Amino acid sequence: MAEQTLFEKYGGFSAISRIVLDFYDRLLDNDEIGPFFDNTEMGKLVDHQTKFIASLLGGPSSYTDEQLTQLHKHLDIKDEHMDQMITELVGTLKDHGITNEDADIVAVELEARRGTIVS
Amino acid sequence: MSIEAINEQLLRAIGVGVALLDAEDFAFRFQNDTFKEWFAPQDDQDTLPKLLPEFDAAELKKQLLENKRFTAEVNFRKKRRTMIFAADFTLTTQDEGNFVVLVCQNISRIREMESMIDSYSLMVERNTREIKREKEQVEKLLLNMMPRSVYEEFKTFGVVTPKLYDPVSVLMLDFVGFTEMAASADPSVTVSELNDIYSAFDRIGEQFGCERIKTIGDAYITVAGLPDPTPDHCRAVANTAVRFLRYLERRNQGHPNQWRCRIGIASGPVVGSVVGIQKYVYDIFGPAVNLASRLQECSEAMEITTNLPVKENLNEQFLIESHGTRKVRGFDDQEIYKIRDSRKGVL
Repeated sequence: MAEQTLFEKYGGFSAISRIVLDFYDRLLDNDEIGPFFDNTEMGKLVDHQTKFIASLLGGPSSYTDEQLTQLHKHLDIKDEHMDQMITELVGTLKDHGITNEDADIVAVELEARRGTIVS
Repeated sequence: MSIEAINEQLLRAIGVGVALLDAEDFAFRFQNDTFKEWFAPQDDQDTLPKLLPEFDAAELKKQLLENKRFTAEVNFRKKRRTMIFAADFTLTTQDEGNFVVLVCQNISRIREMESMIDSYSLMVERNTREIKREKEQVEKLLLNMMPRSVYEEFKTFGVVTPKLYDPVSVLMLDFVGFTEMAASADPSVTVSELNDIYSAFDRIGEQFGCERIKTIGDAYITVAGLPDPTPDHCRAVANTAVRFLRYLERRNQGHPNQWRCRIGIASGPVVGSVVGIQKYVYDIFGPAVNLASRLQECSEAMEITTNLPVKENLNEQFLIESHGTRKVRGFDDQEIYKIRDSRKGVL
């Protein structure tokens, strides 16, 4: 049998959806990384966060490194923004009952893609 | 505390945004705490059009005159967040003049959730389509490996019970000098030609109701009478064999590589089953398979060899020559017959 993804382990979409919306709130409230979304329409931003969280937790979405580079290259994202993003995400995951161990796995996954996001 | 005071307190603290507007210029006369918290109006934003410049005030006025009520969805940008409100306007006439009661419900979260569900459903739908496509490919692959009825059994039960088919006719074919050809010519050309030929054999066999069982290198095995019994299984494989030869002859005329085969045909019982657990294949076992293989060894290039039981089931449609009796390893002595193409030279 295929290994269970974090997405499945933590209750599938119904549970993950809470993480998505909470993370969405935190990003908008964060004055370091929030400004990246100043001109993003709500529907698009929610879509983005849904896919982002799903792909990180092994849900029904995935991005290739090429896609990630393409999506982020015009944004001029710096290392400190990426650090903030990882901190916010790990904080959100832990607040929603995801174990430290699993949250760290996600952080490592995200860290591995730093090069495709930071310019 | 007086009832009025309680009412006012309630009005201020309630979880919906409430405002009172002048019906003429939509100037704010009252805003409750929730309304102020949501819209955080500046001092100069003392009218609705100033607070919400994108809101269609003319339409509001028109609707209020006609219906005394108006409902709209209002988008309000607070910092970088889009807030969405269901706004309900009601015109009310008091001694002091006409007023509009504005009641706002924050439906941002509902809209955000709707967006999220849309996004998620699209992902899931796309995945479902991909899974369906993959499933079809797997099915196609498995159907290449086993008859459909066997596949259905495999799909339903996860296993296939070995099944006896009696009688069937087995056609065994192999190519003369294939090993040398594979070694001397470009192997990729040889394999690609073999692929063409096997594909043609599959099509020919299909026309006569034969089920290709497997190929092992240059050996090709096809059967009639399986999985569905057919009374003329002998004729089916004999017809198939003759057309295999015709196909190769015609092909050889126009190709530098000459493909010449030997064919053996035998009838009898076989057991068909899926063998293996991880790398499973559908295969058949039984005397008919072994005998067809031995008879094939009796063939010269471009010959079809069979024995008495098969010959007795073939009618005058076929040109059959007796080749006496021969010792066949593992079997009784066999009366050997060669099936010739009755249309030879007619083509």
